[in-house]
Amino acid sequence: MWHDLLKYSAQFKSAVLTGLDAAGYPYSIRCTPAFDQGRQVIRVRSASGAALEPGPAGLLFHRHNEQLWDLKMFLVRGRLEQAGQDWLFYPEQLIHGGGLRPLQAVATIFTMRRAAKMYLARRGLARPRIPWQDIKALYP
Amino acid sequence: MLTKTELNPPQQRPALSDLPEEVLAVFREFRTCEFSTLAKDGTPMTWPTITRYLPEQNQFLITTSIGFPQKAFNVRRDRRVSLFFSDPTASGLLNPPAVLVQGDAVAPDTVVTSVEGLEDYWRENVLGRQPAGMMYSRNWLTRYLMDMYYMRILIYTKPRRITWWPAGDMTTRPFIYEVQNVA
Repeated sequence: MWHDLLKYSAQFKSAVLTGLDAAGYPYSIRCTPAFDQGRQVIRVRSASGAALEPGPAGLLFHRHNEQLWDLKMFLVRGRLEQAGQDWLFYPEQLIHGGGLRPLQAVATIFTMRRAAKMYLARRGLARPRIPWQDIKALYP
Repeated sequence: MLTKTELNPPQQRPALSDLPEEVLAVFREFRTCEFSTLAKDGTPMTWPTITRYLPEQNQFLITTSIGFPQKAFNVRRDRRVSLFFSDPTASGLLNPPAVLVQGDAVAPDTVVTSVEGLEDYWRENVLGRQPAGMMYSRNWLTRYLMDMYYMRILIYTKPRRITWWPAGDMTTRPFIYEVQNVA
């Protein structure tokens, strides 16, 4: 996982660290992660006034172009510990979101179709018809 | 720097429209926000999503395909969410603030395929800003493969607290705005 994390994160200028605040709400900051190769942890400088608490956290890398296309993203689950003024993020699981591996788009389509079929089946719902003409009428 | 009290005197019930214009511009013009929900084990799960700001309702709309239902499942289990607006790509804004909205979401268990009532969302936030996405409905093959993309779950978030860092500079002290929601 660490090797993949280094490989993929090199394509992004920054990331979004999300932990929890004292009331248990998600709390995000934009950051530039620093990778400690020896310890395989990620150091993040804390944002001013950030209300983050140690505990479960995630690190999202994502970007898109000016047309909201060429989407690339992945998420790392882990946990956050305070280290002085900084935070240490211990990665535990890397979750691919799209745009980084060959044929990922094809795999995503089939994953979505399977999930949608299950969603409908569990509710006893027939596959709904899509109002294609109504959607086309909204094209810019 | 405006203090929390000056921004939000306790006798008032502020609306989102009371926020500075630079914050409202972020809500209107950013193409995505980083939307965080809570997994079963309490880990915040964050993914970029298209978001529509609904000022007349004091809330935000996100939708997700039933092909990607996990964020809706998370909301139904635990309503605490956040929306972080920190990527200004394509917004046209110069040095916008980074804005964090924390709030409570609902995700009704209804599969929505009709565009009625969502015309502005589809036209302005999705099709208008992501024109390549129109290929999902372009021909019989893409419509067959991608019909689940148009089977949506609606997620509405009412904010509790809004925090913003001017010019997206995370080293500057942020402003904080507490929203008093009427039930």
